[in-house]
Amino acid sequence: MIEFFTILCANAFRMGTPLVLGAVGEVYSERTGVMMTAIEGVFLAGAFGGLVGAFLTQSLAMGFLIAILSGVIVASAHGWICVYLKQNQVVTGTAIAILVAGLCAFLFRVIFGVPLMPITVTPLRELPIPLLSSIPFFGRVLFSQNLLTYFMFVFVPLAYFVLYRTSLGLVIRSAGENPEAVEVAGIKVNRVRFFTVLFAGGVSGLAGAFYSIGFLGMYTDTIIGGRGWIAFAICFLGNWNPKGAFIGGIVFGFAEAFAISMQVGAGSAIFPNELLIALPYILTIVLAITRKAYNVPAKLGVSYGIEK
Amino acid sequence: MENPYVELLHVSKYFAKVIANHDVSIKIERGKVVALLGENGAGKSTIMKILYGLYRADEGKILMDGKEAQITSPREAIALGISMIQQHFSLVPVHTVTENIILGNVRGVIDRAASEASIRALSDKYAFGIDPNATVASLSVGEQQKVEILKALYLDSKLLIMDEPTAVLTPKESSMLMQFIRDFAAAGGAVVFITHKLKEVMEVADSVVVMRGGKVAGTLQKEGTNEQELAGLMIGKDLIPTTGGGRSVPDDAPVCLELNGVTLQNKGEVSSLEGITFQIRQGEVFGVAGVSGNGQLELCEVVCGATRPTGGSLTLNGEDITGAGINERIQKGIGYVPSDRQRDALVMDMTLAENMMLKSIDDPKWKINGLLLSERKIDRLTQQAIEDYNVKAPGPRAVIQGLSGGNQQKMVLARELISGERLIVFDQPTRGLDLGAIDLVHKTILAQRDAGKSILLVSTELTEIFALSDRVAVMYKGKIQGILERDKLDINRIGLLMAGYHDEEEEAASV
Repeated sequence: MIEFFTILCANAFRMGTPLVLGAVGEVYSERTGVMMTAIEGVFLAGAFGGLVGAFLTQSLAMGFLIAILSGVIVASAHGWICVYLKQNQVVTGTAIAILVAGLCAFLFRVIFGVPLMPITVTPLRELPIPLLSSIPFFGRVLFSQNLLTYFMFVFVPLAYFVLYRTSLGLVIRSAGENPEAVEVAGIKVNRVRFFTVLFAGGVSGLAGAFYSIGFLGMYTDTIIGGRGWIAFAICFLGNWNPKGAFIGGIVFGFAEAFAISMQVGAGSAIFPNELLIALPYILTIVLAITRKAYNVPAKLGVSYGIEK
Repeated sequence: MENPYVELLHVSKYFAKVIANHDVSIKIERGKVVALLGENGAGKSTIMKILYGLYRADEGKILMDGKEAQITSPREAIALGISMIQQHFSLVPVHTVTENIILGNVRGVIDRAASEASIRALSDKYAFGIDPNATVASLSVGEQQKVEILKALYLDSKLLIMDEPTAVLTPKESSMLMQFIRDFAAAGGAVVFITHKLKEVMEVADSVVVMRGGKVAGTLQKEGTNEQELAGLMIGKDLIPTTGGGRSVPDDAPVCLELNGVTLQNKGEVSSLEGITFQIRQGEVFGVAGVSGNGQLELCEVVCGATRPTGGSLTLNGEDITGAGINERIQKGIGYVPSDRQRDALVMDMTLAENMMLKSIDDPKWKINGLLLSERKIDRLTQQAIEDYNVKAPGPRAVIQGLSGGNQQKMVLARELISGERLIVFDQPTRGLDLGAIDLVHKTILAQRDAGKSILLVSTELTEIFALSDRVAVMYKGKIQGILERDKLDINRIGLLMAGYHDEEEEAASV
């Protein structure tokens, strides 16, 4: 039983990693006032780019690099349309997510045809940290993970520090609250927004690559299966704060780990996958009704522009 | 001769179709206060936003100490020692005072303690009493302005541009601000003070630049001028004060609107209207005076139907309308010009034409065969309104957001005067308008009265009430303190009533 629980917790952090990364990226983007609603597409582009890159170069590092790049490219389309062309963020993001889904399926055929053997790479291995990993329970839960999870452990406090303790973070937070204040201080609001969206895209692209080359070692068109949207919702649940995004991501990672062990073990009938995907939204609605204090950026979703 | 600190030379600025500034030249000296005086939309803010780098000038140049300066963004303006406090503050409400002040002015990791200490020292030096750690949202408007000033001081600005700084202040805060401005100038700083209030100009300025229609109408020294001359320059014509109210309406004129014991009291709350009883005759202007927030808004909403009274009744031309909805009342000929036009009268993102038909969408005059909306008819009728009311707008398809406050109000007037065939409710109709627009609103109200309509005029400006009303009611805490006939109007007596005192004579008169 203890063994089962230890594995469950370890898997919670593993499965939570991409959700935390994506949600923190989304927190940054939304703090500047831009909802990166294309996040599902960014995840998918990352998963796709990661596999293609890793397969063609036979290097996981190159795969992750290309995943980040793919995420940035998709995010740049979203950012350009929403920030500079000032189009509706929800509509744009949804359209881009659908476009990316089609594009990835198409490009996969173009690159690999219809392969007789599945296209696979060896995914990231677990990398137990010497000494730390031999601590009972915590050693296996926290310190026997893969590189991406360790990266996440460093990334979250760093993201928190930058957002709340640095000049850059102050500018980012102000851009979503009162863009005029930022402009009057001599900083170009739209530039801040665009580059933050690019950053969020890179992080989410990396998150997407977790599913293809960090975990499964292969790519399918449905590999993301709504997890981008879950990261999007976690941003809300985590109250637009990297800490909250971390907690939210791990909670959903736990749910996913639980679902996986159910499927492997007693059978998926008890815990249907659809319910898992619906869970964050149910939670989101419950929280939206019950929560009293929000950090929601005042100008979230509102384009900024002055006549020059 | 020494070069002035800052000099704007022949600056022009064009927006899409409109000239915002034409050939504007202004000199700003160290240690002096320049008042930039003009009506709303005269181009005062625009020219200063050019100096601050928020806008780019299309023609002309800016000299600093005789040398040409390129200011293409606020960053460059700040580096040159220029700060501008916008009319609508540029503060982030959920952030602290410190965070707001250091925004964009620090690099890398923020040393919170050091920033707070230096801001606290500045605040103490000028006796502002601002806690650097307080959240801006928790501060009063006057304190928020001090935060804006602290921001400029923190940047060690040599030129302080203030856009309508007293618009949001209490009289006491205003006089403290004036003192600060004088001190700042005395210490060698330069100040540009944008305003449309003559009194402030005479109080604080060394020189006055009067702007009208985007151009400089005159540059004067305060010593050599007076309020009359400035007002004349500002408006461009001598304003004839509107008088013509205060004719007595014959007792046998038919009653238009009658309120009988109208009460509004939500459960568990203090009543916001209590036993309101009065009549307005045809062709009568019925003024309602009172300190704002004493039930005036509720009274207007009860009359136009937005709120149902919890007691009493209303009749229009003898017909009971107590239970009638808003739309029904519009069709019966009640027009309403609300005090907050942007919230209650207009949809800011829609065009002039769309706003025109907002309240009478079912009217066949907009339609082809009474069925489909006709763009041609809508445009023609809106264009007619634009011309009739002398609205400065590119056309019926322009978004109303782009118009100045006065022109927006003209569009509201145009719509409400058409739909208000019998009664028009005006709530603070001249709030936030410049003198020219105020004059137009006043003349319009009198013209409507002369056409036989009844007017309910709510205003906190006693001069306005005096100039236009035939009878005046004073409201205090949801009650009518007294109704005064025109010939018994007396500013002292009204003042007492507004403050909540009764006196026997008004009691008798109000019966």
